[in-house]
Amino acid sequence: MMNNQKTRRLALNVLIAITAFVVLLLELYPIGITLLNGFRRDVIILSGKPFELGQLTFRSYQLVLGNRQFLAAMRNSLVIGLASTAISVLAGAMASYGISRFHFRGRNALAYSFLVFRMLPQVSLVISLYIMFRTLGIRDTIFGISLAHASFNVPYVIWMLLPFFAAVDRSYEEAAEVDGCSRFGIFFRVFLPIAAPGLVVSAVFAFINSWNEFLYALILTGVNAKTATIAVNGLLGGDSLTWGQVCAAGTIMLVPVFVFTVAMQRFLIRGISAGGVKG
Amino acid sequence: MTKGEARRRDVRHRPAAPLFFLAPALIIVFAVLIYPICFSIVVSLFDWPLSAGAGERHFVGFGNYVDLSADPEFWNSVKLQLGFIFIAIPIELLLGFAAALLLNREFFGAKIVRTLLLLPVFFLPILSGMTWRFMLQPRYGPLNALLISLGVPEMTWLGNPLMAYVAVIVQDIWRMWPFMFMLLYAALTNIPAEMLEAAEIDGAGFWRRLRSITVPMLVPTMLTGLLLRIIDALRVFSEVYVMTEGGPGNATLLFSLYTQRQAFSYQKVGMASAMAIFLLILSIVFAVTLVRKNMSLDVLEEKAGG
Repeated sequence: MMNNQKTRRLALNVLIAITAFVVLLLELYPIGITLLNGFRRDVIILSGKPFELGQLTFRSYQLVLGNRQFLAAMRNSLVIGLASTAISVLAGAMASYGISRFHFRGRNALAYSFLVFRMLPQVSLVISLYIMFRTLGIRDTIFGISLAHASFNVPYVIWMLLPFFAAVDRSYEEAAEVDGCSRFGIFFRVFLPIAAPGLVVSAVFAFINSWNEFLYALILTGVNAKTATIAVNGLLGGDSLTWGQVCAAGTIMLVPVFVFTVAMQRFLIRGISAGGVKG
Repeated sequence: MTKGEARRRDVRHRPAAPLFFLAPALIIVFAVLIYPICFSIVVSLFDWPLSAGAGERHFVGFGNYVDLSADPEFWNSVKLQLGFIFIAIPIELLLGFAAALLLNREFFGAKIVRTLLLLPVFFLPILSGMTWRFMLQPRYGPLNALLISLGVPEMTWLGNPLMAYVAVIVQDIWRMWPFMFMLLYAALTNIPAEMLEAAEIDGAGFWRRLRSITVPMLVPTMLTGLLLRIIDALRVFSEVYVMTEGGPGNATLLFSLYTQRQAFSYQKVGMASAMAIFLLILSIVFAVTLVRKNMSLDVLEEKAGG
């Protein structure tokens, strides 16, 4: 009797394991085919020939890495990502500190407003940003698009940091205050070093937000500040469907995202829904 | 130190201090968020051609909003957008829930499955759109290649209005159901095991436990997930743009895509701004609902032990 039940449980577990792996394979197929096609030539992909090991080549990577426009766009994406992350983490950390360490009137309302700001649709802002940037002459500049990315990254970082900051023991700051440190000095020299892990986590996610962004880049950049997402999309433009190059370029963009994602596994839920989920 | 003492200590600081810390964020948010929103509201009251000079802008009051309500393309995009939300998200929830139940046990490789399942969520949206576009290509696309090898006639999926719309939705389901799984699995592991064991000892079967314990305990998380996904789906743009550009015709012209087309192809910035404000209000309603339901600064701080 007991044995029978045990066997049934085992059989059920095996069945579930098999189902899980099949679902996983199906789910990862689109990603797999992207990674694979990066190592095949455009003509082979377009011919519809089934995959053989002999097709593997670095040709598409060579073409993409020799493509000056794409390289320039990658560099732009990197610079814009770093700039908007730097702005957002600095301004966001200060604001987050202000919210978590001071009790002022309207504190809750302010914090919740930042959370709502994070969820506003970009298309609602992009038209007026376009007109504003055109008037100011900062359309299609690294500065302009970095600032636009800060519009979602500042509220994002504030809410990413709040739980980290709330967890820092106040006694360090109090000790520093007794020693005559200014509030400003306490923040930069005592508080930030303690809260460094939170800063790193939110910086990584802010960078990924900027790295993946498409709509602002499409509208607010042209030739000079074009980002990698726009360049990858551009590889598909015109009559030539260069799937091999698109996949190679896409893989290059994907690698840092997946590496960071795996490294930050513990913080994924927080990262993806900053502020939207308790704890 | 108790909370009250902490508060009293904080009050002693000069009132200017929090403002000093908040200023940079407030300035940025004002410049690239609040001001543009106010500006959009103003623009939406004008007949405002994109590239023409100031002389050709005319105040039309609520004219753009009235025109929108009579624009069949606008209602088409609203319909497509709502369909997208009401079809994709419930399926994502169901799949995520089923997977969370299924994977809430240990078997060989369970941890690997749970981790790798999340990869699509972090796949770049534009790459997702491109990959699905590739898979649905005629002749050499994997789906059609499969159909041909089975002797079934192939199909130009993205050339067919209905199929293109279905494809856009399937793409979203594929990418985001693991997100629901991630949320629900985390909530599921938080249900005390003793509770379920006690119910089992009392003779409650699998379905009974599911109905009386698991589902009720997960409802708050499900609501959160739904709201997060709705807010996200309201602003979907890039993956659909690279997949179909709203086509064929306007078969997949979701709300954001139509707004963008209105502004930058038709060059009617006033109309587009009216759409932008409409979407903004809708998003704020959902976002405020989520925040009110779910977010408490005090809970967050107590949890963190601050």
